[in-house]
Amino acid sequence: MKGSPLEMQKIKLKALLAVVALGAVVLTNAPAQAAGTIKPGLKIAIMPKAINNGYFTAWNQGAQKACKELKAVCTYLGPTQATGPAQVQFINQVIQKKYNVLVISAADQNAIVPALNKAKAAGITIVTSDADVASTAASSRVVSILPAASASIGTAEVDWIAKATGSKGSVAILSAAATAANQNAWIAAMGPYLTSKYPNMSWVGGTVDKSVFYGNDDPATSTSQFDAILAQYPDVAGIIAPTTVGVLAAAQEKQAKNAAVQVTGLGLPSQMAPYIENGTVGQVGLWNPIDLGYVAVYAGASAKAGIFTGKVGSSFKAGTKSYSVTAGGIAYLGAPFVFDKSNIAVFKKIY
Amino acid sequence: MNTTMSKYRPNVTWDKGVGILLIVTVIFGWIASPDFATTSNLGFILQDIGEFLIIALPMTFLIIAGEIDLSVASTLSLSSSTMGYAYRSGINFNVAIIIGILVAVACGVLNGFLVNYLGLQSLAVTIGTLGLFRGLCFVLLGNQPVNQLPTFWSNLGTNSIPHTFLPWSVVIIIPAVAIAWIILHRTRYGRWTYLTGISAEAANFSGIPVKQFKFSLFVITGFMCGLAALVYTLRFASASPDSAMGYELSVIAAVLFGGVSIAGGFGTMWGVLFSVLELGVIRSVLQLINFTANALQMVSGALLLFSVALPRLIGMLKTRREARVRKSVTSLTSSRSV
Amino acid sequence: MKKILSIRELPIFAVFILFYVTAGLGNHQIFTSSGLHDILFGSSIVAMLAVAETLIIVMKHIDLSVGSVIGFSSYLMGKNSAEGHGLLFCLLIGIAFGLGVGALNGLLVAYFRLPSLVVTLATLYLVRGYFSQVAGGDFINSGQVPKALTYMADHTFIKIPFLFIVAFVLALVVGHFMHNARSGRDLYAIGSNHPAASLAGISVARRTFWAFTAAGGISGAAGAVLLARYGQAQANSGLGIELNVVAACVVGGVAIAGGVGTVYGAIIGAVLLQTIVLALGALGVSQFWQGVVNGILLIAAISLDKLLSMRSQRTQIMRRTQA
Repeated sequence: MKGSPLEMQKIKLKALLAVVALGAVVLTNAPAQAAGTIKPGLKIAIMPKAINNGYFTAWNQGAQKACKELKAVCTYLGPTQATGPAQVQFINQVIQKKYNVLVISAADQNAIVPALNKAKAAGITIVTSDADVASTAASSRVVSILPAASASIGTAEVDWIAKATGSKGSVAILSAAATAANQNAWIAAMGPYLTSKYPNMSWVGGTVDKSVFYGNDDPATSTSQFDAILAQYPDVAGIIAPTTVGVLAAAQEKQAKNAAVQVTGLGLPSQMAPYIENGTVGQVGLWNPIDLGYVAVYAGASAKAGIFTGKVGSSFKAGTKSYSVTAGGIAYLGAPFVFDKSNIAVFKKIY
Repeated sequence: MNTTMSKYRPNVTWDKGVGILLIVTVIFGWIASPDFATTSNLGFILQDIGEFLIIALPMTFLIIAGEIDLSVASTLSLSSSTMGYAYRSGINFNVAIIIGILVAVACGVLNGFLVNYLGLQSLAVTIGTLGLFRGLCFVLLGNQPVNQLPTFWSNLGTNSIPHTFLPWSVVIIIPAVAIAWIILHRTRYGRWTYLTGISAEAANFSGIPVKQFKFSLFVITGFMCGLAALVYTLRFASASPDSAMGYELSVIAAVLFGGVSIAGGFGTMWGVLFSVLELGVIRSVLQLINFTANALQMVSGALLLFSVALPRLIGMLKTRREARVRKSVTSLTSSRSV
Repeated sequence: MKKILSIRELPIFAVFILFYVTAGLGNHQIFTSSGLHDILFGSSIVAMLAVAETLIIVMKHIDLSVGSVIGFSSYLMGKNSAEGHGLLFCLLIGIAFGLGVGALNGLLVAYFRLPSLVVTLATLYLVRGYFSQVAGGDFINSGQVPKALTYMADHTFIKIPFLFIVAFVLALVVGHFMHNARSGRDLYAIGSNHPAASLAGISVARRTFWAFTAAGGISGAAGAVLLARYGQAQANSGLGIELNVVAACVVGGVAIAGGVGTVYGAIIGAVLLQTIVLALGALGVSQFWQGVVNGILLIAAISLDKLLSMRSQRTQIMRRTQA
């Protein structure tokens, strides 16, 4: 594949031109324009964990809205399978096509880090949104836009299940993949909160770690794990499913088996509407993925324009609201919305 | 495999076809996208295909010999998880690498034993070991991937050899490809591979120790999965129990796309090399001209189909032409059997 | 014929009973009607696909495209239902789609004589890629599933889930065809000895073509079961199910080598695999160990089947030589 000397010369020439062009881009984007405007025409890549996913379609919707407002050129691209290696191929594509900003939801908090570092070295501004890289790799991105502090998402879900079960009984968790960083962080917050705030409630396995069942974000696995929970703990009062695939599978299986256990968790209103309307599920909650995408694009564009550093304490504006960065380089949107019979009709049309 | 669709014998070699396709794709890419023919992009392509190429080498031997191994991705993952687990337990990373490779070899030994000494069908039993090895990954690492590898090693994974665009993985890949080619096409071991693939019984009768030979194929496959695991772990600077999901079908598709017949006994290492390169190149080209991941999947399917349909079509046309010629000849001379 | 049936399927059925009882002793939940319901209900989809796959594997072929077909079919059915079409129309769309893909597979395998593993792997990619492109992030939720399907998913008939009854009735029909109809038995002949079957006058290409088409149609119809069971359809529906289906067939005595096995064995295989999954969950085996146990049990099942088939071959040879 080495080709003739002429081909090699042409490749080298192209490489040289690419470097010169990149250099020109970097120079023109230097902080000299701290005057504070985001230039139009930014090339922004919007990369979900996987395309073909309703949640990320909504996420992209928000991103595209921000792009229109900023007059940026945004492309939605990503793998079909939510794995790190698959995402890396697309990150490489982003580097090759010399995007200015990359807004990404990390499919694997570790595996994409080397590729992100390469992108950062090539001058691309990186913002993670919805799912972050590992805390040890925080330097590979400018800022992470997350819905709410892990603690508050976890504790909120415990509150929902307590409401559904009348604050008594045992609780199990139907999670995503065992390695899912977001879910693990939320679960870690759930454990001590339940035992301290609800003395009449307990975890089915004694501790929270022994009460987690992994549905791997797959409907079939989530369903059989729901059955496993009921089989191992027939008296379980509530199941928390901190993943849209899991809570959906749990609701469906509860309905099919006419089970008594209460189900709650993080659910997309458009997907969970039938179960809320027919009473199978009392309430679920979720932040608005549209907002996540919208804010992330503003964060990335602001950082690229040099008006936002991403350091702890700095802030940027997205639309009319201002967001500031907290410990770990994370900016939070706010508490999740709760969907129940009273508002599901409205929200199911939005996302 | 000897046991599935044994009568498929292509009479036009597709491996040359892939080579031509590769050149055509490179030219197309060069014209279609300014970002394709850059050293950095070539570096990306080489990195992306690294593990696939390493595993495709022993898989070629297996399929030509009439077997298959669906557990290769899980073996890679287990090997990688072992490396991570050992390192996290405090073992020196250099030693952890060796332990990981030994674990991969052990996986190959198990597969080889089940297929050759218990006589189980390789397609079926490697579905079982696929699950077994993957399960062991989770037993080792649970929900805690290992992400702090020694800087020296993770740098090897991301950086290129100084003054070139080549990733460090070529240090393993190029010798591996060369050795695999030499063994398959220039040694007795390679000839055994073809003979066993054409007929295991005839191979047995002609003195080839088929059982031990096939056993060795699985063991070597395990070893190569271990090497691939090293490349993979360093590239992603982490060890996770859900590594390499779905890689097995991709490797098999790549080998088949290289003109290796699934019925056994037919195929070349050139074809497989070109195939893996071509699949990497065409994915890069199409991505750069904004094909979605969904469209890429369709292209993969179409290419695979094309790779077996085209030789077959050409073969059918040839047979028809030969039949016509024969008809006109037999009207003059006595008829001869095919 | 009956003798073959009793030799191949009975041991697998015995293994299932053994496993069921052992698991039940560990957790009495499994003995309740709820436990049995979960097993049958959960295995319905794989059972239906295993019936389709049996038609293919006995001919010494393989069909890897079933996952993509069932997924896309369930989405088509759901989408059409959401747009207001009637149940029959939706079912026909899915079945027609399945028949189409099956016919394509059949054409390439039977008439172009391309290897089935390659062809169906290619159609797996082609169909999944096209499906994902068409569906994108679209999601069919349980409110859009035809009410009749939801009813069937939620109800039982004398304690047996309707969805499993569908799979079972299908097995009865296909099984009867494969044992009694001339063209059905031809499939076994083709798998046992391809050239001999051809010489014996069997139109191999035609049988192969129709077998693949039928398998595709069944997979398409199974889309309704998938839609009903999970109450949803989206671009990842049915992903990866083909390996479970092949495993179910192999465990149920439908050997990869071709020429043997029945749909009844395949169904028992599907039920056994589901029993293992649920039993491990019910017995509280750590999820991290479940994959390991599952893999070991699969290997054990394949070994057992091989042992039994070797023993039955020996018995047959003995009988023949003694007669």
